[in-house]
Amino acid sequence: MSDLAIDIRGITKRYAAHIAVSDLSLQVPRGAVYGLLGPNGAGKTSTIRMILDIIAPDSGTITLFGKKHTDAGVLDRVGYLPEERGLYKKMKVREVLKFLAELKGIPGAEADKRIGTWLERMSLVTAEKNWGDSKVDELSRGMQQKVQFIGTLLHDPELVILDEPFSGLDPINAQALKDTVVELKARGRTVIFSTHIMENAEKLCDSVCIIAHGKKVLDGAVSDVKAANAGHTVAVAFDGAPSPAVEAVLRDRALIASMDDQNRFLEIELAPGANSGELLQRLITAGASLQRFERVQPSLHAIFLEKVGATGVEAGMSGHG
Amino acid sequence: MGKLIAIIKREYLERVRTKWFVIATLLGPVLFLALTVLPALFASRTRASATSGNITIIDATGAGLGARVVLALGDTSTLKPTLQVVQPGAVAAAEEGAASDVIGKKREGYLVLDSATLRGAKALYAGRNTTTVPDMNRLGRAIDKAVLAARLEGAGLDPLRIDSLTQVDVKLEKTQLTESGREKSGAGSTILGLAVAFLLYMVLVLYGQTVLRSVIEEKTSRVAEVVISSVRPEILLAGKIIGIGGVAVTQLFVWIASSLWIGAQVVPALLKNRVPSGAAAGAAGAAQSVDLLSMIPTFSIGLVVALILYFVLGFVFYSSLYAAVGSTVNSESEAQQAATPVVMLLILSAAVIQPVALAPQSTLSVVMSMLPFSAPMMMPMRMSLVSVPFWQIAVSLLGMLVTCAAAIWFSARIYRVGLLMYGKRPSFRELLKWLRYS
Repeated sequence: MSDLAIDIRGITKRYAAHIAVSDLSLQVPRGAVYGLLGPNGAGKTSTIRMILDIIAPDSGTITLFGKKHTDAGVLDRVGYLPEERGLYKKMKVREVLKFLAELKGIPGAEADKRIGTWLERMSLVTAEKNWGDSKVDELSRGMQQKVQFIGTLLHDPELVILDEPFSGLDPINAQALKDTVVELKARGRTVIFSTHIMENAEKLCDSVCIIAHGKKVLDGAVSDVKAANAGHTVAVAFDGAPSPAVEAVLRDRALIASMDDQNRFLEIELAPGANSGELLQRLITAGASLQRFERVQPSLHAIFLEKVGATGVEAGMSGHG
Repeated sequence: MGKLIAIIKREYLERVRTKWFVIATLLGPVLFLALTVLPALFASRTRASATSGNITIIDATGAGLGARVVLALGDTSTLKPTLQVVQPGAVAAAEEGAASDVIGKKREGYLVLDSATLRGAKALYAGRNTTTVPDMNRLGRAIDKAVLAARLEGAGLDPLRIDSLTQVDVKLEKTQLTESGREKSGAGSTILGLAVAFLLYMVLVLYGQTVLRSVIEEKTSRVAEVVISSVRPEILLAGKIIGIGGVAVTQLFVWIASSLWIGAQVVPALLKNRVPSGAAAGAAGAAQSVDLLSMIPTFSIGLVVALILYFVLGFVFYSSLYAAVGSTVNSESEAQQAATPVVMLLILSAAVIQPVALAPQSTLSVVMSMLPFSAPMMMPMRMSLVSVPFWQIAVSLLGMLVTCAAAIWFSARIYRVGLLMYGKRPSFRELLKWLRYS
């Protein structure tokens, strides 16, 4: 038995006009919460769809739990929440869920039992109202998302794949989703989700993989990634507006690679070869009145921007995700 | 396999449970009853117009031709003649009186016999029932017979012998001769053929469109991606076609079975109650009701089997094409345009239904019943009309099997790619490219 939930080796997916995924390899250990990060059009959804055998890679192999992902029954152990969510609108909630469970090989009677538990847990069945017997289109958007989420988890999958799970969620549902991810991890399940919102990934993920233009930019445990990129980021805040002399220092490309105005402070990415002492000295020489000067662990967001850069965000907006 | 069954079950149950399905399924037999019984009832009403069949016969021949016509019409006739003998000069006045009787609804019509009739040239009939074919035929035959009798008498034949000589009523018994031997003549077989073809056409269009809508619904509601993350798109497509096809076969089965029952039990009962109420009672009435029954279409078991078989093949062909169309579009309004090629094939088939029904052995009919796209409608129709040679059935079935396989292959590929493509509808060139995606 492999201790990798997902083992992807050199997959490539070409479309007529562009390459969606190029020679991508990544390993997700069992029991991990794994973030697939990248700008829109980086190839996240294409990668996920290849894992689920919705589309076939042109080359490369995908192994789930040590077995080829196309082997019989392997995908029944995976739960999938697509980015674009949808249910049969005219069907009753219970029937939709039962259908989704049957597609994963859960017998009807067992599915009925689990559906009952889940509906109560998600407060879709309460003392006042039983939404289980309502048609899907009678439910609010938030409730439909809950139903969809139940559908993803009903067959108790060992691997849960969530494509942009936080998009369109209100704060309460987003919190519920985070709680569920944590609980899945506690029960030894593997969770992989894609997002372009780095804050979510930073809070939730054990490991991440950043991709852009269909290529892997970096991957590893979040703590390793941050440590490897530490020492290059400085948080600086001034009393009042910086003087022209100070601004000249901040514009020096030999010293500063990039700068991100966080409103209350500036997150500064040092240029290669430069160090924070040099920056501090130059700022003081320029007569800056410093309120804060701190070497910080870079946020995933900063690492992302540094590694991917603005070009990665603009190009490759193909719609294939 | 369990997943395929789950999909079939969903597609089937979701549709069979709808009000629309229940209503349409129950309405079918009612419609059938109306289509078969109403014409028969109308026919029987026409025949039983005895009470209102009063006509005036104005005899201006001066040779007693009117009396002979009355005699020839006989007393079982539904036409009740009143004889009015006038001088040749008084015809116009008599006609005027008779016409006002007809307009005043005291009479159904009037017949004018004059010297021209006696010469065998013409007689004149005016009335409200000139479009009632049986009445007019009867009247025409009676006049012919009367003129013949008058001529025979003029030739010096004994009047008593004339009556017995001219009392001729040959009944023409029709038997259809075919390659496979003699078959009982179904007076309603053309009606049956048309009914079979239109039924198949209707069900193919109806349920082909259902497949189209179902694919679009799954695509636009985005539920398709969840489903094909659990099953292969080919399985989803197969389950959909089998499930919806099952709904169609259920409906066809209910329609045919209930129609058979109606044809065998209800219609005879209904018609039997009607006919003897006419003037013609007893033996004549029984004969008439038998005559009416022969107008009601009969299904043979072989025909029912052929009907279902051809329907299934036709449905697989058209519904897979419809599914392919559905997967390439983003809305139902876009689908109407995109489905045009498929609809054209169906309309082309529908357009030849009538020519084929009228001449089921013509070259056009033979060709159309073997072309895969029109065979599902044309072949069962021809089979209900004439005896179709075995080789033609074999060719059409084989052709359809091959075409179905090709349609499934083509559609499955388009469907798999199209289901996840949103945005601009693909061009024909792009569709060809999709076919090459593995």
